[in-house]
Amino acid sequence: MWNYISAFAVVIGLTVTVPVFADGHLSLEGKTIGVAVVGTQHFWDREAFNGATSTVENLGGTVVPVDGGRDNQVHADNHDILLNSEVDAVISILGDGAVEPKFEALKNAGIPVFTVDHPSPHAVNNTTSDNYYMGTTIGRYMADAIGGQGKVAVFNAFENALRICGIRAGLWKYVLQDYPGIEIVQPELAEEFANAPEDARKKTLDLLSQYPEGTLDAIHVGCWDQPAIGVVQALEEAGRTDIVVTALDGGPDTLEIMAEDGTPFVANVAQQPNLIGSTSAMNVARHFAGESLLPQTYVDVVPVNGQAEAKATHEALGYGSLD
Amino acid sequence: MSINPVRHRHRSEIIGYLPLIIFAGVLLYIGLNAPNFLTFRNLELILMQSLPTMLVCAGLGVVVMAGGDDVVSGGIDLSIPATAVLSAGTTAVMLTQGYPLIVCAFVAFLACMIVGFLNAALVTRIGMTPLLTTLAMFVAVVGVNNVITSSRRINVDHPLIVALRSQDVFGIPLGIAVVAVVLVIIYFATHQTRWGLHLQAAGGSRDAAEISGLPVRWLLGQTFVLAAFTGFICGFFVLARGSGSSPGVQDNLMIEMILATFLGAAFSVRRVVTMWGAVLGAVLVAAISIGFKSMGVNVFWTGLIKGSLIVIVVAFAALARRGR
Repeated sequence: MWNYISAFAVVIGLTVTVPVFADGHLSLEGKTIGVAVVGTQHFWDREAFNGATSTVENLGGTVVPVDGGRDNQVHADNHDILLNSEVDAVISILGDGAVEPKFEALKNAGIPVFTVDHPSPHAVNNTTSDNYYMGTTIGRYMADAIGGQGKVAVFNAFENALRICGIRAGLWKYVLQDYPGIEIVQPELAEEFANAPEDARKKTLDLLSQYPEGTLDAIHVGCWDQPAIGVVQALEEAGRTDIVVTALDGGPDTLEIMAEDGTPFVANVAQQPNLIGSTSAMNVARHFAGESLLPQTYVDVVPVNGQAEAKATHEALGYGSLD
Repeated sequence: MSINPVRHRHRSEIIGYLPLIIFAGVLLYIGLNAPNFLTFRNLELILMQSLPTMLVCAGLGVVVMAGGDDVVSGGIDLSIPATAVLSAGTTAVMLTQGYPLIVCAFVAFLACMIVGFLNAALVTRIGMTPLLTTLAMFVAVVGVNNVITSSRRINVDHPLIVALRSQDVFGIPLGIAVVAVVLVIIYFATHQTRWGLHLQAAGGSRDAAEISGLPVRWLLGQTFVLAAFTGFICGFFVLARGSGSSPGVQDNLMIEMILATFLGAAFSVRRVVTMWGAVLGAVLVAAISIGFKSMGVNVFWTGLIKGSLIVIVVAFAALARRGR
């Protein structure tokens, strides 16, 4: 119960302290803003996109939306279209290294770039979750969940490709340095970017056949939690729900899984993607209003430890009640 | 009831032009509604974005030319996009290990040739269906590439690769010039040489070609190797476009290759797959997608609009072909 109340209090605190709604003077009237998103299949991407586009429209701006269909290459190419459309600014959500030359071209053409979850030297500002807190918190929670020792497999395809994943997975590993009894299974697993749940399900079943009962204690997904959906499925299929699952993002889909009785999915850190997208759009308006922006804007996250907190967070973040 | 054959033929000819008319209409509509769509810079953008698709389409076009255009039993090679990412993946991994580009390209070339020869052997020696063989090959080659790259993104900033994306020669982007040269060579080889005429004869009527003594299986086999070669070249354009190798590029490339190639057939006089038809298809698919995006069409609708448009065009082409 205390967990429930404290999680609720944290979320209420967050929504009150976020300064977004204090900026009544901001406007994007007469501005055309390109919003490029890597995909709209996943809750996180879609919500960040919806948050950005609706805020641009609420501020009086026009949106040119482009969707990469969960393909980093298409996403990068879409920036060329925004460049050619001569938009006034671009909000770019996620993306790998393929977008960097596109950002540079936009910047050189005098079009300011605002990124979401993608720090870039060519961007005016990057709006993102507090990835440092996410990485260390999930490290502590996972270590606690397996009693500070055991074998852990990790899905970690993007640690070197995406900076946000480098922070999250890197700090998770940093925390584990203080748990000499925890061993990360080598080689690390690499999940697919598109079709992640099904891909992770297959890879987990393969992993389970390599590690018979009692030889694996946890499976962690280093940067997001769509693969965790498939991991949990595989554990349930194989009857191995004694293995603990942890991941990051905490959308309604994964919070629901965490809220089930007897679920192996025990810890997560929930982000607020809609607020992140919306904050990025507000930053565009601040930029045009002549305000100076810090290179990074951090949006708070909600740690979720266990079933009760999953239910509380699901409700507090506006996804509805699970009781 | 009798059908007036002249009027019938007339009607089927009109139906035959409908794909072109529809596309022209849509492009005109986009041109009027999207800012900067009908500009030289946008044309360049459309061409640049369709370069990888053009290359794999040309490869597929040649395989279809020699094997016949029946999708199930004729010539088809679905493995070309996988060969392209194998070329890109091998080159990217070796570049990060410090090998010179020429060495990386040579190894990638060998890897792609193995795929081409395997396809050729499985189809022409063992007699497997090209559709299934090359689909299986696609899966296998993507698997190999995932092992090579560990399914991870690899950044590439080699100056020659970057030049394919951003260098101009005599005012023309280097990438466009290189692809144009490759396409012209392939066109010349398949249309202006004795070998090319044999290929066309084999694809037109396999039985007739065999009776007249052409080595049909040998010719078909060669087209799979040529297709793998276009995949090899395409790999460098994949690297250039993405400034590196990202996992999953093959899926979109595969869809675009098939769409563009068979869409291209709708524009040919005889409604058959041709190399230039396929290349034109690639450009049009890119133009339509860029157009809708520039117009700010809701992203949740673009897929449906694009898909429907293509179905309509191909359906009219089929109608026109039936009416001939």
